[in-house]
Amino acid sequence: MSLAATPALVRLPVWRARFVLAAFVFAFIVLAVRSVYLQAMKTGFLQEQGEARYSRVMEVPATRGRILDRNGEALAVSTPVKSIWVIPDDVKASRGQKKRLAGLLGLDARELDKKLAETSRDFVYLKRQIAPDTADKVEALGIPGVYQQREYRRYYPGGEVTAHLIGFTGVDDAGQEGVELAFQSSLAGQPGSRRVIKDRLGRIVEDVESIRGAQDGHDLTLSIDSKIQSLAYGALRSAVAAHGAKAGAIVAIDVRTGEILALANVPSYNPNNRSHLSGAQLRNRAITDSFEPGSTLKPFTIAVALEQHRIAPTTRIQTAPGKLTIGRYTIHDAHPESMLSVAQVIQKSSNVGAAKIALELPREQMWKMFERVGFGAPPQLRFPGEASGKVRPWQTWRPIEQATMAYGHGISVSLLQLAHAYTVFARDGVLVPLTLVRTGTPVQGVRVISARTTHEIRDMLELAVQPGGTGPRARIVGWRVAGKTGTAHKQENGGYAPDKYIASFVGFAPASAPRMVIAVMIDEPAGREYYGGLVAAPVFAQVMQGALRMLNVPHDAPLEPLEQPSGSDDAREGT
Amino acid sequence: MASYVFAQGTPMAEYDRSLAWAALLLAAGGLVMVYSASIDIAASSRYTGDNSAYFLVRQAIFLGVALLTATVVFLVPVRLWQKAAPWLFVGGVLLLVLVLVPGLGREVNGARRWLNLRAFNIQPSELMKLGAVLYAADYTVRKHAVLKRFKKGLLPMLGVMLLVSWLLLREPDFGAFVVIAITTFGVIFLGGMNGRHFALLVVMLALGFAGLVLSSPYRMHRIFGFMDPWSDAYGSGYQLSHALIAFGRGEWFGVGLGASVEKLQYLPEAHTDFLLAVIAEELGFVGVAVVIGLFAWIVFRAFLIGRRAALRERHFAALAAQGIGVWIGFQAVINMGVNMGLLPTKGLTLPLMSFGGTGVVVNFVSLAILLRIDWENRQLARGLPA
Repeated sequence: MSLAATPALVRLPVWRARFVLAAFVFAFIVLAVRSVYLQAMKTGFLQEQGEARYSRVMEVPATRGRILDRNGEALAVSTPVKSIWVIPDDVKASRGQKKRLAGLLGLDARELDKKLAETSRDFVYLKRQIAPDTADKVEALGIPGVYQQREYRRYYPGGEVTAHLIGFTGVDDAGQEGVELAFQSSLAGQPGSRRVIKDRLGRIVEDVESIRGAQDGHDLTLSIDSKIQSLAYGALRSAVAAHGAKAGAIVAIDVRTGEILALANVPSYNPNNRSHLSGAQLRNRAITDSFEPGSTLKPFTIAVALEQHRIAPTTRIQTAPGKLTIGRYTIHDAHPESMLSVAQVIQKSSNVGAAKIALELPREQMWKMFERVGFGAPPQLRFPGEASGKVRPWQTWRPIEQATMAYGHGISVSLLQLAHAYTVFARDGVLVPLTLVRTGTPVQGVRVISARTTHEIRDMLELAVQPGGTGPRARIVGWRVAGKTGTAHKQENGGYAPDKYIASFVGFAPASAPRMVIAVMIDEPAGREYYGGLVAAPVFAQVMQGALRMLNVPHDAPLEPLEQPSGSDDAREGT
Repeated sequence: MASYVFAQGTPMAEYDRSLAWAALLLAAGGLVMVYSASIDIAASSRYTGDNSAYFLVRQAIFLGVALLTATVVFLVPVRLWQKAAPWLFVGGVLLLVLVLVPGLGREVNGARRWLNLRAFNIQPSELMKLGAVLYAADYTVRKHAVLKRFKKGLLPMLGVMLLVSWLLLREPDFGAFVVIAITTFGVIFLGGMNGRHFALLVVMLALGFAGLVLSSPYRMHRIFGFMDPWSDAYGSGYQLSHALIAFGRGEWFGVGLGASVEKLQYLPEAHTDFLLAVIAEELGFVGVAVVIGLFAWIVFRAFLIGRRAALRERHFAALAAQGIGVWIGFQAVINMGVNMGLLPTKGLTLPLMSFGGTGVVVNFVSLAILLRIDWENRQLARGLPA
């Protein structure tokens, strides 16, 4: 049947074609209208829905502030590093690529394979905080699924010299120890945020807007002088090594401003590589440990007696036969003497003399002195773990306790508290507030004792470092020194260990116009030379001499060589 | 008819240039957009071997094959198509059977729609669309005398269509079923089917549909879920909500070619069923309007060519031309309606544009037939043999 044969039968109804065409026109118009509705009218809602799905607010890290010494030298800086992370499921690497990747990241091949096998996770760190040039090499490998993230790592140029003081930050850039922790909020700054568009795999495809700029942390200028700090650390370390001691600490304070110029501990650690740290290395003994100071406390007892006018520097005290029995206890002197002036009690470091004087004093007045020079309360440096030491309330004191406290037993202080307390003698009776932050301006302190008493004590302390005293090795060429030795038995298991000592020296110079207090503590010096005058005093002298020279402090003594006593007998003391 | 006057009054071109250009523009635009929409999925998928140009290269090859095939098809006289129509239809049915045979049909996402011919896959349901149009046109002309009678006119067609529908729904390929059913009955309707039968058919379909939907709240939810994709935006409404977001982001002029965010793994099937959403996002309303306009133009030209053929008493050619128009137009409308949330989500590609080999080739073949019909019209108008 051909088409031409059926013309009469076939008649296509034209209206139906028009009807269908009209239906199409209608449909296309509906589509166009709907499109306008979606693309021009409902855009607000739709875009909002879209943003809820792929717009994310990202944190922009703030750069942590630097920590500087008083002269602007860097003690802690943030350096940019990269962290390498992967989406394990997306990683496609040949064996060679994997081997090179493992090599660059310092991972072994099995470790790497294990991380890449965590295919159920979308984010796995391969290695955190690697150097930027290593990260560039990783990027050059061009392995898909391997990503990098910019971070900052703290670097401490001072290394072990400032380790305890500065502390360190954790991997998340938050302070964990020391100044890094104490000043966390101002160092850290405020991270900013920006809005980005991410694809479904979490990769950023578009940077939309910055919501809040990152506010970098503030730089912190410490009161520390790095030159004095490294001098102090070096001298302390040598002394600890030379005497086979367990540990040591040193503090230097500018008495005019209350600024801490140096603060160091041994043993120390390298804060830039903290993989093998022991608790002993981490301890900031000068601030966080308290100990029974021994004879270095005698001047405070004498000061109370002088203030109460119970004695004068020339008052004579009978110390023979070198021991004093109170109840069941007996107090000994290292070299028994007979009649001693009050000044000589300090010079010779007589326990019996100090005890006798103390027993004449009201307990409350002694306690007040300790309290006012800062014992029993933390020094308020904002430093983590500041020790407050232990001073028992005077109401509970028994006579033997009052007697031993006179020479620094039955009471505990931190080395920082001890150095702080000595600023009273260096500042004409005024206690200055301490600071770790550079101020550079002299401060008003709180008067603790009269200027007269201070000068009397200062003379005694100067005498103590002269030949005939316990601390002649604390003297230095060119400046007059005043100070006191301490040799305390260590407490152990509730009693005193017979052969374990803490040797200490606290003093200041120049004696005529004091500029700096330095306190040194050596824990458990081994051997026979364990006295403060032999172990700690030389450290004091070395650091004080160097520091005064660096600070250009005018001389107040002739520049001639000092004669040191030949033996070591003079340095002997009971505590 | 104005266009008829236009056709008579001016010196005629050899073929319908505007139709050819509309198709080529859609295909070329489709190629670009398939690349843009697939670039990210292709770059991060094991299936494509991380080759970002995976879909671009394939779609380009498909288009090349399609254009070559179309050129050959253009040379085939329309009467040969009419003769072959029943056989083509039977061949199509055979392929639809083959695709259901385990081992021959390739199953993707639970649907068995592809025949694996080693070098490439073919999708019989796409071939069947053309087969159905040609068969329906031939059937209408052949049975014209009895077309208005239910038993002799409508029933045989209903029977054949039930078989084809059953085969399509076994795959399942619901989208192809709808397109083929609508196109086939569209052709019979245009060819003079009994109006009362048609009305009855429509009422029956509507009742059946309503019954199915109302009998099951679950099915109701599945079908009407598209009306509020936001109520379950992370479940059943996921795909549609992302398509709508793409439209909203595009605004009037789009976010720019290549700048779509939705294609970054958010919008599933961005390079196939939801290509229009990516066009809407990257090229804005302007892009969508151009696509709508070009499809509208193709439909209009198809009906015009059919009308001219009818005036020359070339009834098979007339119905085939309009049937092709109905098919391409209807599928485009459904696809766009789905993209815009006007219709329930069903797997249907955008003709000429979406990624897919068989689809593109069959679309071009049918347009070549359309152009051939037009060319023969023009030959006859010149008094030359067709």
